Amino acid sequence: MEDLASKAIDHAVSHGAEFADLRLESYRGTNIVVMDGRTKTVSAALPTGCGIRAFIGGAWGFAVTNDVSPSSLSAAAESAVKMAKVAQQRTKVKFKIDLAKAERAVEKYKCAVRPSDVRTEDKVAFAANLDKSMRSADPRIVSTNARYDDFEGERVVANSFGTLVRTTEAWTLASCSAWAKSDDIVQRGHSACGSVGGYELMRTEEATMLGETAAAQAIRLLDSKPVPAGRRVCVLDNKMTGLLAHEAIGHACEADAILAGGSVLEGRLGQKVAAPEVTLVDDPTIESTFGHFSYDWEGVRARRRVLIGEGVLTEFLHNLETSSRMGVEPNGSSRAHTYGSPPLVRMSNTFIAPGDWGRDELIEDTKDGILFQGSQYGYVEPSKGQFMFKCDEAYEIRSGEVGQRYRDASLSGVILDVLNSVTGVADDFTTGDPGYCGKNYQDARVTDGGPHIRLADVVVGGLA
Amino acid sequence: MMDEAGLTDLADDAVALAIRSGAEKCDVVAAETRAISVDLEKGSVKQANIATDPGVGIRTFIKGSPGFAYCTGFDRKAISSAVEMAVSLSRAGTPDHEFKDLPPLARPRKVSGLFDQGLSDVSPDDVVRMVIEMADIAGDHKKVSSANASAGVAVCHVALSNSNGFSGSQRLTSMDMVVEAVARDGEAMFSGYDGCSSRRLEPDAIGRISRTAREQAVKGLSQTKLPTGDYPVIIDPLALGFILSTAIGSGANADSVQRGRSYLAGKLGQPVAASEVVMTDDPTVGWATGSTSFDGEGVPAAPLVLVDGGVLVSYLHDSYTSGKESRPSTGNASRGGGAWSFRGAPMISTSNLVVSSGDSSFEEMVRETKEGVYLRGTWDYPNLATGEFSGLMMESYLITNGELGPALKQATLGIGMVDMMSRVDMLGGSRRTYFGVTAPHVRISCARVGGSG
Repeated sequence: MEDLASKAIDHAVSHGAEFADLRLESYRGTNIVVMDGRTKTVSAALPTGCGIRAFIGGAWGFAVTNDVSPSSLSAAAESAVKMAKVAQQRTKVKFKIDLAKAERAVEKYKCAVRPSDVRTEDKVAFAANLDKSMRSADPRIVSTNARYDDFEGERVVANSFGTLVRTTEAWTLASCSAWAKSDDIVQRGHSACGSVGGYELMRTEEATMLGETAAAQAIRLLDSKPVPAGRRVCVLDNKMTGLLAHEAIGHACEADAILAGGSVLEGRLGQKVAAPEVTLVDDPTIESTFGHFSYDWEGVRARRRVLIGEGVLTEFLHNLETSSRMGVEPNGSSRAHTYGSPPLVRMSNTFIAPGDWGRDELIEDTKDGILFQGSQYGYVEPSKGQFMFKCDEAYEIRSGEVGQRYRDASLSGVILDVLNSVTGVADDFTTGDPGYCGKNYQDARVTDGGPHIRLADVVVGGLA
Repeated sequence: MMDEAGLTDLADDAVALAIRSGAEKCDVVAAETRAISVDLEKGSVKQANIATDPGVGIRTFIKGSPGFAYCTGFDRKAISSAVEMAVSLSRAGTPDHEFKDLPPLARPRKVSGLFDQGLSDVSPDDVVRMVIEMADIAGDHKKVSSANASAGVAVCHVALSNSNGFSGSQRLTSMDMVVEAVARDGEAMFSGYDGCSSRRLEPDAIGRISRTAREQAVKGLSQTKLPTGDYPVIIDPLALGFILSTAIGSGANADSVQRGRSYLAGKLGQPVAASEVVMTDDPTVGWATGSTSFDGEGVPAAPLVLVDGGVLVSYLHDSYTSGKESRPSTGNASRGGGAWSFRGAPMISTSNLVVSSGDSSFEEMVRETKEGVYLRGTWDYPNLATGEFSGLMMESYLITNGELGPALKQATLGIGMVDMMSRVDMLGGSRRTYFGVTAPHVRISCARVGGSG
């Protein structure tokens, strides 16, 4: 693969590319879904392909081929150059890609049990057991979904600076959803675990207990009430803190959004954007997480990035282009969904660092508020400066005690306000659930996390 | 690109191979898509992409157990390996006696407006010109600091064959345009967005969506707050399209309904919307991106009324869910919208969801709203189990004494979906299409708004 990659890069340069890079991939994946005791999906993917980029004078051309023969790669390289020339004719912003260190590496992520060494029948049995554990947990569980995914593949990243990085990676992911019904009320609970690594993760207690966890949550929510809407003091659990870190700040720190004029953090580097208790980090180097990687999809060595240090905005997430245009070193934040997509600036494992408060102390100190637990989903528009995320379950806090359970609570805020409203950071750091972050129709595997934190005044959305 | 006859041969051969390999039932999709897209950032062309994506997807059934595998490219050996893989996956799964059969043999419907030669002939230079025009219009205001645009065109040749003898093919074209304007005024910042999708070139849409993005960006710079309370809400087709694409697209999914996971379960024949509301899923709408002559399992395309006079009259079925109820499929097995994909088994989905129009103009709706909210955009969707919607109104405006006012900062909307649809008291006369949903403006008589004021 390396030889093919190098020749394709040389071909792009010989046709006029000032800079060229590619991602040549071959992988296999499995997806199993068991619904209500029967397999709904057992599928496999066996793709191979290559995406090549050519850069000329401030514009990129990108071409994709599923055929990795030398002739097809050469044709794709020529197409990429041709597309760059088309774009470059109408480019107003001229810049260059600064010479970056040429990396040569062969990376193999830890994987004790390769997914391809496990029989499909055993993977089906694993998912079926998860499904069964939900249905047997409580007679009020009326429908169940157990899902298993794995990925195993090789990626070669090469560029015209001489970088040639081969990465062999595997990851596994399992998730459960349970629907509980009582009278006319239906509620859903869910759980997930996943990490870079092999099938060994599916043999841990965390994985085998996913069904019970999802079922218990669905049952709990049956006696929940709609949350009252309005401004409230909110305590976020570890998963919600992670979602806040990712949605409210992480996306606004992506340097491509800054350069596009689409982030409210533009021009605020070095400024105070959060309470001094807040340190926010994005770190792809943490092994055994779903967001782990050691070299990014441009072949840049990944490193820990402190985006906010003690309340001050310290760094953005960069790829080769944004670091060149902003005059800083690239920090390994470029990722592509597959070879078929051009790389974008992305997060990895994003979290708020632990503070001094005890978790119980934080709640006991709250007279009137809402405790948000578990993350469902969230999104942000950095150009509007607003974000929203939704929890799995919420609880009233009154006089420091946790009371009434609520459902479908959402929390929204303004990027530049929310971290300044942090009034307490607990010491109980954990990572959150694995998940996929969507951007420009591309998914990236990520994890987030943090400790419990308290926000002084945010808008809670609800039906009551 | 491989032509329809070549793709059909590949699909037919793969079906035959799968049956010889032990599959009891099988369908195969062979597709090749050529896509060109261009991104423009801050007024400057940033990237031009070209991709050709050929491949074959095979789904097999053994005792009702489904297996699916795909390969990229059309290499016969790779297709054979994928067929063998699909059959082995079927064997690894559990038998499912509720799977009855794939759809019976039928002829694809003749649907016009699937393929536009003009769109097929578009060059990368043409797409570059489109995004530049969008950015020039969207950026034409002193307060607009940044205009970003992207456009993509795709040509897809696809063939579908199954073990019941179906063999169909079609050529599809599609086009997507998205434009964003970011406006600044001192510390205030706001963005306006609009987009358009079609199976043909829509030259008039460039000006329309670019002006809308610009106007919304500038309008949103003036912001205010609203106290929490119950208000009438006018919902734009942009927000309504996003909400209904999930609320109906997934809520009326017969698989979710049969499993008791949807808020619409048990509501067939019951009112779920105001009596003026009619919702139809129609894969035969000319030039709409969800249109097709047959669905992802080979069912001929036909309009399907889902909500008639406010009453829920049908769910969305594929062969599996219809087999469970011993009724014909409604033809809602989808393999993609604008271009079909070979990378996954078909899933139940709407094609083009069309909401009936009324006779009110947007201006009349605003005039007749004393104190309320105009919701233009949200990226939230309802809890499908409960039908409860609780989310951020990402772009919304205050209405006071019948006049549209400033944008609302940090306002949320909370309402059950059946309440939302039942409380429609005004339907707009003109419609727009977003996220596969063609809908007018609607006014909801009352919804819970969580405000920051």
